Amino acid sequence: MDALERRIDELRAEVRRAVRVRDAALARALRAELRRAERDWDATVSEEALDTPATVPGDVLDASGPAPDAASAAFRAALGGPATVPAHALGTASIGSGQVPGALLPGETAGALRSGVASPSAGASGSSESASGSSESASGSGGLLSSSSRRAGGQAYGGRRRSGGAERAEGGSRAGLVPVREQVHQALAMLGAPAAGRMIVAVHEAFFAGGLRAGRMTSLRRDEERSFRAAPYARPYYLCAALTERLSPARGLYAVSTWPLDRRIVTPLSPRVDFLTAARRVAERIQLLTGRGEEPSAAAVRLLARMARNIPGAMPGDVLPPDPADVIRAAAAELEVHLPADAAGRASAARRAARQLADVECLFGAATLSDAARKGA
Amino acid sequence: MSALAALARLRAVREGRAQRLTTVRHCHVSDRPMVFVPFQLAGEAAAPLAAMVGTDPGSPRLLVVPQPRDRDLRFAFAAELAEVVLPYVEGFGKVTETVERRNADPYERCLDAPQLVLPNRQGVAFTGLLGRSTRFRRPDGPFPVHPSVPVLGRWLTFFAERASYPGSSLTLAATDALAMHWASGQSDLEDANLAALMGWIDPPPGRTGLQAAEEAEDPLLWPPAGPATDPGFDNEVLAPAIEAYAEAPTAAAVERIRQAVRSQAEPAWRLTWRALELLRALPAGGSVAQRWDYDRGAFTDFLTRTAEGAPPQARRDGAVSAAARLARMERARASFDAQRAYDDPLVMAEYRLTGEAFAGNVVATEPEHTEGEGRSRKLRPLVTVATADPVRLAPGTTLGTPDRRGQEAEVVEVEGGTVTIKITKGMGRGKTPAPGAVPEVGERVCYTSVTDDFQAAAALPEPEMTPWTHGGPPPEYVPTDEDAGEEWS
Amino acid sequence: MKDRLDALRGPVPPLAHDARAIAALAANPGCARRAVLDAAGVDKELTARHVGFPAPFGRSRFAITRGDAFEAQVKESGCAELLRLLREVLHLPIPEVAYHDVSDVGAHLRHSHTRRLIDRAARDDGDAGTFYDHPLFALEIAGHTSYLEPDVIAFRLGGRFHVVEIKSFPVIDGQADPVKVAAAARQAAVYVLALRELLRELGHDPMRASHEVVLVCPENFANKPVAALLDVRRELAVLRRQLARMARVEDLVASLPEELTFDLARDASGIPTRPAAELADALGAVAARYAPECMSACDLCFFCRDEARACGSTDLLGRHVRDQLGGVATVSEALALAEGAREPADGQDEIARLLRYAGELRAECLEGLELEGAR
Repeated sequence: MDALERRIDELRAEVRRAVRVRDAALARALRAELRRAERDWDATVSEEALDTPATVPGDVLDASGPAPDAASAAFRAALGGPATVPAHALGTASIGSGQVPGALLPGETAGALRSGVASPSAGASGSSESASGSSESASGSGGLLSSSSRRAGGQAYGGRRRSGGAERAEGGSRAGLVPVREQVHQALAMLGAPAAGRMIVAVHEAFFAGGLRAGRMTSLRRDEERSFRAAPYARPYYLCAALTERLSPARGLYAVSTWPLDRRIVTPLSPRVDFLTAARRVAERIQLLTGRGEEPSAAAVRLLARMARNIPGAMPGDVLPPDPADVIRAAAAELEVHLPADAAGRASAARRAARQLADVECLFGAATLSDAARKGA
Repeated sequence: MSALAALARLRAVREGRAQRLTTVRHCHVSDRPMVFVPFQLAGEAAAPLAAMVGTDPGSPRLLVVPQPRDRDLRFAFAAELAEVVLPYVEGFGKVTETVERRNADPYERCLDAPQLVLPNRQGVAFTGLLGRSTRFRRPDGPFPVHPSVPVLGRWLTFFAERASYPGSSLTLAATDALAMHWASGQSDLEDANLAALMGWIDPPPGRTGLQAAEEAEDPLLWPPAGPATDPGFDNEVLAPAIEAYAEAPTAAAVERIRQAVRSQAEPAWRLTWRALELLRALPAGGSVAQRWDYDRGAFTDFLTRTAEGAPPQARRDGAVSAAARLARMERARASFDAQRAYDDPLVMAEYRLTGEAFAGNVVATEPEHTEGEGRSRKLRPLVTVATADPVRLAPGTTLGTPDRRGQEAEVVEVEGGTVTIKITKGMGRGKTPAPGAVPEVGERVCYTSVTDDFQAAAALPEPEMTPWTHGGPPPEYVPTDEDAGEEWS
Repeated sequence: MKDRLDALRGPVPPLAHDARAIAALAANPGCARRAVLDAAGVDKELTARHVGFPAPFGRSRFAITRGDAFEAQVKESGCAELLRLLREVLHLPIPEVAYHDVSDVGAHLRHSHTRRLIDRAARDDGDAGTFYDHPLFALEIAGHTSYLEPDVIAFRLGGRFHVVEIKSFPVIDGQADPVKVAAAARQAAVYVLALRELLRELGHDPMRASHEVVLVCPENFANKPVAALLDVRRELAVLRRQLARMARVEDLVASLPEELTFDLARDASGIPTRPAAELADALGAVAARYAPECMSACDLCFFCRDEARACGSTDLLGRHVRDQLGGVATVSEALALAEGAREPADGQDEIARLLRYAGELRAECLEGLELEGAR
């Protein structure tokens, strides 16, 4: 074990040296060797870990540290249990899973503790907002409309390697039940306007099963286009592009083929119009749920709050959570300012599109010179 | 940078070893300091990644946040840190002494106080951020935390604030404390690297300071002493380890992160203790104990207020308290500068070089010189000193001397290589001076215009009388739900 | 002139400067080595590595990820967050929301598209646009055009254009790290300058690009963005001066040996084959002005520091010491003056006297300590 650790340290140092002198090939080889050593180490330590009791994150180098005092242990247990977990922090676990969170958590907590993972509270409550904005943008989560896709994965703490953890690994399995294109469609249909991946992920998490990952949407538009070209109109709907006024596909926006063409056009005013429309839809949906006596999910409330913050007058007195009626009123008021010009721009571009574009281009955008160049590059 | 310090750096270059800037130590070094080596995740405002902390160089406690972006794990970290820091800090409240005061009630003061030692100034700043991000938390409400977390936040804030108080030793940044006492053969920018500075002061056998400092710049040999980690370490070691944890938060995954972080923290841990050892080996300056008394008073005060349930420190000072704080700091700075000069001839030498002080042998005295007539006749002994120093003091300037601290003198005349002064305070009421009160001919003396006068505090209104130009009286600070519920992401 | 610079660089295209690099040009205006290498578009990073002094810079993945995520958040939904901030800070009127994503066109068209959009906005006082995301600006540097891809947005208010710079360092209780704010201001100034050049070329008043830039940062420990106005007039002035200096780099180049080149002699796979010692000699032919501050701004810093050490330069000890030594160039010279082993040259009387006296005082005060073997 010691020898292995020494070897790992050496390898790490060598990798970094190689990186520093930009010897990519050597670095690659060293990294591979490092991974092997780390795997060996993991295997060895896992064997040992089975025999040792769980520890909290702060141990002592000489491994004789004082045990956490009773109060703090009790506190942790409390946080892990459903009783004191803020509803808010629990949101992601409760949404749509059909599971009573309380029934799910203690097991996880125990699992996390058994595996010696830091604080059980972290594993269990899914760390509602802590990852937002700071998490990997590459995978699309984080930020204003952050989803909990990564956290959803994180909720499987301690579970994934255990057979009993099947339902806890919902991040993957739930997403697996409903194809990605249907999940995206659900969200877009609710929003009623072209939207970017982050918004779609956030809406899905707020009102549907959640667990959608922006990373899985990257090839979606291309796949849809291929499918359409192979057998036009074979499917009831396609997830397609929003079109710029130049009729090229707008970057990063998704739309639904069954929408009227002018709704799929984006003028310079459209991002704002669509944002306000989306805010209104979100607020209406929450009203609907409340009216039916259902509790909107924490993610939904959070989504509404973050949208309302950016609409003048939508949160009088900055009181959280915002009243959906205020949001609807404020969004409508601002919409009135932008709508006429936006609608005119959309209509004129839509007429041009209908005149100039073939069906497939109408859905997926005209291949402009620049696209050709991009593909060539 | 004085010419004296510049010369010391030049010498350090030639000798290949740091040179002394002082003859004594000007900070207090506790018998039982707590060393705190924190690390943060790059790119985040105050996301703790790890900390090595403890009072025993042989058994540090390593706290690790396996996923620093997870708020709950961060609070678990804060609670862990509180388990280490609070018993240490609060333990000093157990033994007190009674301090008698003239014209005021006696008060209780802790016999000793905690001392938090960080590797560098950035560590102190991070301590402040950590304090800022935890002191408003609450054990109830929307984002409940362990009750110890907000208390820890107040203490970390207290330590970070004391660090900027001139002359205080409750919080030490090792690099700053070392740089106050030694001149390295590199620039002050490079001195901010603890390993490099220690390389100059205490090079390994057979190495020059320069060689040791060069080695210290290799992050593979000497990882940065925090709170920032080496980007190479982040990209090659930490990121894969955190990703592995995100995939499967197993004990092995946590252990892997711990191992990685320990490799970064241990060198700084050892260096910080070694720095303390070097500092402790210097004899303490005459005023160190007195300043530590003030530190103990400040500590006792804060301990009492915290125990009485005072609210956490405000986010920002009001206008009056900010001005008062600034005035206090300025006084402390002047006082600290003067005390160091009086305690240490090498510090005094800087003032001699600029003409604000002079030293030399007494060549003539007039011990029974008096001024005034009748009842207002006062003893004002004259002393003439021959000095080689380039004196730049105008007649009438008030002087003090390290040799007779109760006395005050005044410049009468500066003539060629001699200065005549008049002793104006501390002579008593007698007609003749007490034996030894006036220096003898041939005695070596030193006088300076730098004095540790307790200048009257600037006249500031009470907070409730803040003029409208400065925002009017501040509302009394009451922590709000907003403070407590502030996102900590 | 261009030929001469091309020869200095060797047969590779000149390195494009990004805003960070251009901002850093202004960091040490007195350095001829940097001015010549940058004017010629030499790859300083590769050069430094090849001569055995790789630059100490690196960026953590965590910081990069965090920066990207924050930027995406601010720009999301047609800059919804930014809109809120600008309405608060600059009282942007409600109708001003139009958003243009310049990157909707292909990469090679982006610059011309940026030009067209800005031109239209400058002519039209109606609602031709408010935000311009992913613009591509051009800036001429010593005869070469550098394209700048700001992560910034230009936006228009009342006929004036502002640059928005999004940074992920936090503003805590109203305070941000002054070093980082200064760096952001320098970078933003580069974009303002480029925008002004663009307006000038298009025949508009360049001053319509405001010297007030909007800095957007996360507030406290949350991710909620907050905005502040930053006046970058000073940074603009420094930058213009330095760019003008680089345009006059002829004078510097003219004094260099004719056959001098920094060509790395890369082989087919781009690996430098030039003997490192030869390249180091070539670098040595242009005078540098090393200062410890270079270590945060220049790829060649370790090379230049090593050179400064080899000649015992007082620059090594930092500006404070150098200023104190009043122009004494080397450590040995300063020590010789202090120890009376050298007669002061013209104008050195004062510093020699000071150093000598400082030496005597140190000796006097440390006398006792030397016996104890003090360090």
